[in-house]
Amino acid sequence: MTEITLAAVDELAIQRAKSGDLTALEGLCRAYEGTVYTLARRVCRTAEDAEEVLQETFLEVCRSIKKFRGTAPGSLAAWIKKITASKALIRIRYEKYRETDELQEEGGWAGRRDGDVGLQLDLEAALGRLSETSKAVVWLHDVEGYTHEEIAELMGKTVSFSKSQLSRAHARLRKLLGEEVQC
Amino acid sequence: MLRHCTMAELLDLRDGEGSAAARDHVDECAACRAELDRVHQRVAGLKALPGFSPPRDRWPVVREELRRSRRRGRWQRAGWGALAAAAALVLLVGVRGVGGAGPTVLAAQEVDELKAESRELEEVLQRVSREGRVMNGVTATVIIRLEDRIAVIDAGIAEIQTTDNSVTIELRDLWRQRVQLIDQLVITHVQQASYVGY
Repeated sequence: MTEITLAAVDELAIQRAKSGDLTALEGLCRAYEGTVYTLARRVCRTAEDAEEVLQETFLEVCRSIKKFRGTAPGSLAAWIKKITASKALIRIRYEKYRETDELQEEGGWAGRRDGDVGLQLDLEAALGRLSETSKAVVWLHDVEGYTHEEIAELMGKTVSFSKSQLSRAHARLRKLLGEEVQC
Repeated sequence: MLRHCTMAELLDLRDGEGSAAARDHVDECAACRAELDRVHQRVAGLKALPGFSPPRDRWPVVREELRRSRRRGRWQRAGWGALAAAAALVLLVGVRGVGGAGPTVLAAQEVDELKAESRELEEVLQRVSREGRVMNGVTATVIIRLEDRIAVIDAGIAEIQTTDNSVTIELRDLWRQRVQLIDQLVITHVQQASYVGY
């Protein structure tokens, strides 16, 4: 997602989208499709689920844009991301995914690659081995900047639940990445 | 603090919420400081992961769904008007037909029954056609075509009622077609719902 694309969604475009102008709505959706899809991919298990979330998010955005009242910079992105997170979390809550956390073998397996690309691949793979809930919490909190209160509200859980999931996710990532040290 | 920090304590410290004891311990303990650094590095690594691009363009499906919703809104508004007009016509024909059960009266009675059937099917349709349900392009196209055909039928019904109240057989035929089309629409929605699994 480039800054140029996001800048194209200016106030005038938002007003046109609010009036139901399909061209403006398309521009808005296209400007945020990468952001929405990436967030959905990070929370959902499969690419297909992420695509469904993308579609559901755009439908919701197009139908609810009239209610959007934000004026601060970034408020539209935050609003769209919140819709995305909500839909993705609903999906993982009801899809009864297999919790891989407990099923995967324990022990580190990283460190077989060199350099930043290797680290990225390891992180990517390690992230994929977290349970759906842990992955969602670590991504929403550490990358998207959601507070534990916001995550708890989105998930319908407590703040303690969000904190414990984050702690669990980091402990698991540390192990998967072979970072454990003896203190 | 006589022990090393737990992951939860380190994360609290990172978020500016840690206890003074934990902070003091990290200041003095090289191992916990290193662990906290690794947390920062891990998060930086997560933030640096590349984004994804959707493999398929979803806008056409979204656009069709939006258009369908708008059409449905217009159709429902027009449909209620047409139903009211049809009810008035049937009442008028019924009053005129008192004293003899000719073909016109029979057609009017059937229109009445078709209207009731149409209303029931619309209620079913309301239940099965959930807003925002994700559907494939083929199903969306079938639904749009059916709705378009119903809109044409509605226009025909409205026209007959405003120009010639005596053409009840033609009116009955239009109502028959309307019932058949709504029936197909319901079946399409039910099949889609079964396929999606909601």
